[in-house]
Amino acid sequence: MSTQTGKWREDQILVICPGSQTTMAQLGCAELTPPAFRIPTRMFKDDEEEDSWRPVHTYKRRKANAVGKAASNGGGAKGDDDEWEYVEDPDSDEGAVYPIQAGRIANMECFLAFLEHVHAKLTTTYHNTPIVLMASPQWTRPDCEDIARYIFEKTKTPSLCLLHSGVATQYGLRWPNMTVVDIGYEKVDVTCIYDSRVVSHKDVGAYPSAEEREISGGEVFTRKLLSLLEGKGFNREMAEQLKKSAVCEVLPYVPDSPKLMELPAENVGPAGVPAAAAPVEPPKIIETAPLTDDDGLNGDKDVVDEDGVLNIANIITSGNTREFLAKKEKEKAEKAKPGRKAKEKAEVDAAAARARLPNSKRTWNMFHYEDFVTEDVPVAPPAAPAPVPTKDVEMGDGAAPADTAAATADGAATAPTGEAKSSEPRADQIPAAAEGDAAPKPETAAPPESTTAQAAPTESAPPASEGQQQQLTEKQTKRVRRDIEVGLERFLFADRAEIDRIATAIYQAVQGIQDMYMRPPCWENIVFVGNGARIRGLKDNIMQTLQARHLVSPSSATMFTSELPSNMGTPSGTGSQTPTGSFTGAPHQLPTTSSVNPLLQAATTASLGVPGGPLGVQQQAGSNAGDMAPSHHFHSQTPTNIKLAAMPNYLSEWSKNGFEEAMFLGAQIAARLAFCIHNLDQSTADAQRLMSLSRVDYNELGPKGIRSHSMLA
Amino acid sequence: MAQQPLSSAQQPTDIYGGDEVSALVLDPGYCHTRAGYAGEEMPKQVIPSFYGHTADGRDIFGDEVIIPRASFEVRNYMNRDSVVEDWDVATKIWEHLLVKRLQPERPTPASKNGLNNVNDNDGDVAMEDVLKDENGGIDASLLEKPLAESPLLMTEAPWNTAKAREKAIEISMENWGCPAFWLSRTPVLAAFAAGKATALVVDIGGANASVTAIHDGMVLKRSIQRSPIAGLWLSNQIRAMWETCEPKVEIVPTFMVENKKPVEAGAPADVRLRNFGFPIADSFRAFEEERLLTEFKESVVEVWRGPGRYQGPNEDFARSQPGRVFEMPDGSNQMWREQRYKVAEGMWDETAAYPITGGGDEGRVSKGQTIPALIKASLEGVDVDLRPNLLSNIVVTGSTSLLNGFNDRLNMELTAMYPGLKIKIHAAGLTSERRFGSWIGGSILASLGTFHQMWISKKEYDENGPGIVEKRCK
Repeated sequence: MSTQTGKWREDQILVICPGSQTTMAQLGCAELTPPAFRIPTRMFKDDEEEDSWRPVHTYKRRKANAVGKAASNGGGAKGDDDEWEYVEDPDSDEGAVYPIQAGRIANMECFLAFLEHVHAKLTTTYHNTPIVLMASPQWTRPDCEDIARYIFEKTKTPSLCLLHSGVATQYGLRWPNMTVVDIGYEKVDVTCIYDSRVVSHKDVGAYPSAEEREISGGEVFTRKLLSLLEGKGFNREMAEQLKKSAVCEVLPYVPDSPKLMELPAENVGPAGVPAAAAPVEPPKIIETAPLTDDDGLNGDKDVVDEDGVLNIANIITSGNTREFLAKKEKEKAEKAKPGRKAKEKAEVDAAAARARLPNSKRTWNMFHYEDFVTEDVPVAPPAAPAPVPTKDVEMGDGAAPADTAAATADGAATAPTGEAKSSEPRADQIPAAAEGDAAPKPETAAPPESTTAQAAPTESAPPASEGQQQQLTEKQTKRVRRDIEVGLERFLFADRAEIDRIATAIYQAVQGIQDMYMRPPCWENIVFVGNGARIRGLKDNIMQTLQARHLVSPSSATMFTSELPSNMGTPSGTGSQTPTGSFTGAPHQLPTTSSVNPLLQAATTASLGVPGGPLGVQQQAGSNAGDMAPSHHFHSQTPTNIKLAAMPNYLSEWSKNGFEEAMFLGAQIAARLAFCIHNLDQSTADAQRLMSLSRVDYNELGPKGIRSHSMLA
Repeated sequence: MAQQPLSSAQQPTDIYGGDEVSALVLDPGYCHTRAGYAGEEMPKQVIPSFYGHTADGRDIFGDEVIIPRASFEVRNYMNRDSVVEDWDVATKIWEHLLVKRLQPERPTPASKNGLNNVNDNDGDVAMEDVLKDENGGIDASLLEKPLAESPLLMTEAPWNTAKAREKAIEISMENWGCPAFWLSRTPVLAAFAAGKATALVVDIGGANASVTAIHDGMVLKRSIQRSPIAGLWLSNQIRAMWETCEPKVEIVPTFMVENKKPVEAGAPADVRLRNFGFPIADSFRAFEEERLLTEFKESVVEVWRGPGRYQGPNEDFARSQPGRVFEMPDGSNQMWREQRYKVAEGMWDETAAYPITGGGDEGRVSKGQTIPALIKASLEGVDVDLRPNLLSNIVVTGSTSLLNGFNDRLNMELTAMYPGLKIKIHAAGLTSERRFGSWIGGSILASLGTFHQMWISKKEYDENGPGIVEKRCK
C-alpha cells in the first residue's frame, strides 16, 4: 500500500471545492493559484431521459430558418423534427436544480451527476488523477460514503481525499489555531480549529425549520437590499449587483449611535432631510447610457467620469437634486437621448472635492448596473432591466480576460472572482469557449447563429420569462451601463439581526469549545471566508460587534491581588508553527524532504486522532484522582482579545483574489500533502495514507473506508 | 442513485455490529441531546434539549434558532428526572437529529422542502398520526422508514420507567423503521467509555447527580442513588449567592447586551442593552441565563479541595487568598474569593448550601442528597464483597464533575469515609469525554462486533411487541 502514495504529480491532481452556488475546480495544484474554473453548482433535469442530467439549460426550439416565434421554450412537441433543434443556453438557470443547499446535499443524484460533469470537463482523457473534494460540515457520513462509492465506481481515480471545508481553510492560511467563519450563500459555518483539529462547530441557517427557511449568509443581505429597494424598480439581479458593487457597504459599528452605524448626513442639503431620517428619496434611475465595451471596462467608480457620473453626484450633493432631475427627465423624454449638458461643467469643479468623499460619507452614490441591451434602440429605459440577447464576445469573454487587467482599476464592481451567481456564468464561459464547446450563447433567446456578426435583423423575442416587454432589436447588441442613484439603502441593507446572528454563532462556537485553554487562540485568529464575506465592511462590522459586546477587559480588581490578571491567557500556541519563521522560504514552495514541513506534521498527527480511528487513541486520560488533563489549568474568562488572523502575503495572486476563497488554496495544499510528498518516514507515511482513500483501500474497506481515510475532522 | 454492487474483491460485510452497519447512538439528557454515528469518538450533533416554541405553534430545534423572537417560548421535552415528558416533541427532536442532521437528504421532487417538513405542520400532532393519517399517500411513501438501514442505540436514565422504554422502541421501530434497537443505561455506558465493566459510576450531570454500581456490565438496581445536586442546582446556588451578596448582582444574560464599556471593579455597569421591541419570555431568559451561569462555573466556581470541610477556618483562609475576577456580560465585574468555594460546598455539606429563596423544598439539600451520602447509600445497597472492587473503580462523569477541584475533594471524602480501602478514581482528562461519557460508551458498545447478537431486531419486535424491551434490555 505504501506504493500507492506519493506517486502523483502536482499537475495531475483534481481539486474540487463545491459550494451551494459555485464550485471551484482546477486540475493541478502546482502553482497554488486561484481556481481556474468556477462552475455554477447546478444541473438541469433532462426532459427526454429519466434520471439524466445536463450541465446547461437545454431547450427545444424552432430552427432559425423557420422564422417566426422562436419563443417556444420548453419544447412544445409540434412540427416536424427537422424544424426543431436543441439549444444549450449556458446563462439560463431555468429549471436548474441546485444540489447543494445551505451546505447540505439536497439532491444526491444531481450532485453526483454534477461531480461527474466537473470531472469530465476538467480531465479530458484518461489520467491518473487523484481527487481532492472539499466537503461541507453538513455532509453526513452516508453522504460521504455515497460520494466515495460513486467516484470510485464511475471514475478511474486512484485516490480520493475528502476534506472538511474548515480544515481546508486552515490549510490555506496555515495558522494552527483559528476560527473559520464561512459566510456562504445561504448559511454561515463557524468552525473552531485548535492544533489542526476541529474542536467546535456552529452553523446558522444550515438546517432550515419546517415552513420558513431561515437562511443566513450573503443571500440575506441581497434580500434585505431588495426589500428596501423593491418599490423603486429594483429587481433581484439589480440588488445582487448593487450588493457587490463598491457603493454598497456595511458601515462600521458605532456603539453609541442609535442605529449602531453612522449614516452620512446630508450636509449641504436644502432638502433638509436629516440623515438619520433616512431614505426618503427614491433612488433614481438616471439614464441609460449605451457604452462601448471599453467604457465599461475603464469606467471607474470613484473617479470622475465623463459619462455623467460626476455630474449627478455633484448635483445631488449640491442640493438641487429634485429640480434638476425633474428637468433632466423631461429633457430625456423629449430627446430620448441621454442628456449631458455643458452647463453642468461649471459645477464640476465645485463638486470635485465633494466627489472625492468616500462612499461611506455620501448620502447618495452612483451604482452602475450593467445590463445588456441591443444597440441602437435605447428606447425609454425599461423599468425592469431586460436580459436581452447580446453579442457575447464583448460581454463574456471580454470581461473575463479583462478581469485581471481591470481588477484593480475596476474595483470590486466586476468582482474578478465572480462572487456569487451572476458573474459566474461568465466565468464559466471561459472553459466552455476553450473547449470549443459552443461559444457562449446569448442570454435568453437569441438564436445561436447570431453569436457572430450576422446582421440579418430578426425579431428576437426575449422569452418573457419575467414579463419584460419585447423589444425590437437589431443584432448589434452592447453592454449597457445604467447609472442608478442609490441612497442610504446601500448602508441600511446591513441587517442587524443577521449580523447579530453571525456574531452570536461565533461567540457560542468559541465559548462552546470544551477545553477552555483552547479558546484564547481561537479568539485571536478569526478569519472570514466564503464569498458572502466579500461584502464591504461586513467582516469589520462583525469584529467590531464582537469586540464591543463580548470583550472582557482587564479588571481593576486584579490590581489588588497577587494573582495574575484573569486576562492573561496561558501561551498555548505552538511557536514552531507560527508562520513568521517557517514561511521565509520561496513562495509557492512547500519544503519537502529535507526539512519536515510543520504543516504536514500537524496534519499528519491530527489525522492520527481523527474520529474513525480506534476509539480512545487520543491522549491518555488522566485517570488518577486529582490529576486533571495534563498541565492545562486554564480557567480564565474569555475573550480578552478578539483579532483577525493575519493573511499570508507571499501569494500575490491570492492577495489580489482575496482570501475569501482560501479553502481552495488549502485544498491544493492538502492535495500536495496527501498525494505529492515523498520519502516520509514510516509513521508520517502512515499518517499520510490516512489522509485519503486509495483505490486499494477502497477495494479492501468499501465506501466506509472514507470514515477513517479522509480529512473530515 | 446508482447503487451498483461493489467490486468482487469486496467481501460482503452486512452483518449488524462492527463498523459495517451505520449504527446511530442517541443520548438524550435534560440539558443536551447528543447523537452521532457509532464508532466515532464524539457525537456529531449536540443540541440543547430545550427547544423553541413559536407563536404559531411550531417547534424549532438547535442552538442557532433559539434566538430572541417575539412570542417565543423555550421548553424542554425532558423532565427534571431526565425522563422524557413530552413524547410528541421527543419524537420530533430526535428525528431532527437522527434523520435531518445525520442522514442524507432524500430526494423529493420539490427539492425545497426537506422531508421532515410534513411533521411540523401542527405542533400538536403526534408523529405517528401524521404518518398514518394526514399524509397517508405521498409523504408516507417518501418518508417510509427514514432509518431503515440504521440500528439505533439509545441511552436512558437508570430510573427510566417501563412505559417510557416501550415508547422509545415503539418510535424507533414504527416511525423510523430501525432494523435493530437497543436501550442502555447511562452509567453502564459511562463505565464502558472508561474501559470498565465493573465500576461505581458517579455521574454529576445537568439535572441529576447519580451514583450507580455496575457489575459486569449490569446495573445493580439496589445501588441506584440520585439527587438533584447537579448543574442546575449549582446554578440556583449561584443565583442565590448573587441575590444575597452585597451589592446584589443583577443577571444580565449575554443576549440582552448590545455593547458594553469597561468599568472599574464593583462599579455599576456601563452598558447599552438591546431593544427587541417585543417582550422576552421568561423561559427564554432563563435558558440564556444558564449560559452565563455555565461560564461562571467554568471560570470562577471551585470545589474546596480539603483538607476538611470548607466551613470554618478554611473559609477564612480562602478569604485571604487571591480570588478570581468575573466580568458579567454587561461589563460589571468583581472579585470572587471565598464565595466561589462556598457555592459548591453544598454538594458535600448540606449545611453549607445557600437557602434557595422561594424554591420550596426543591432547592433545599438534605443530608442524604450530598455526594458522599449518595456514594455511601449506593455502596450499602450492594454486597459487601463487591465494595472494595467498586471503590477501586470509581468512574466520574458528567459535565458538572468538571468543576475545578471536584476530583480532589471526592478523593478526600472517600478516603475519609473508607479508610483502609483502596480508592481509585477514574475521570477522563478530556473535557469532552466527561461531558459525553455515556454517548461515547454507547458508541463503543454499538460498534463492537459481538454486540450484534444483543440487538433487538425488528422481527423480534414485530413478534413480541414493545414489551420486548423490558425483557431484553435489563
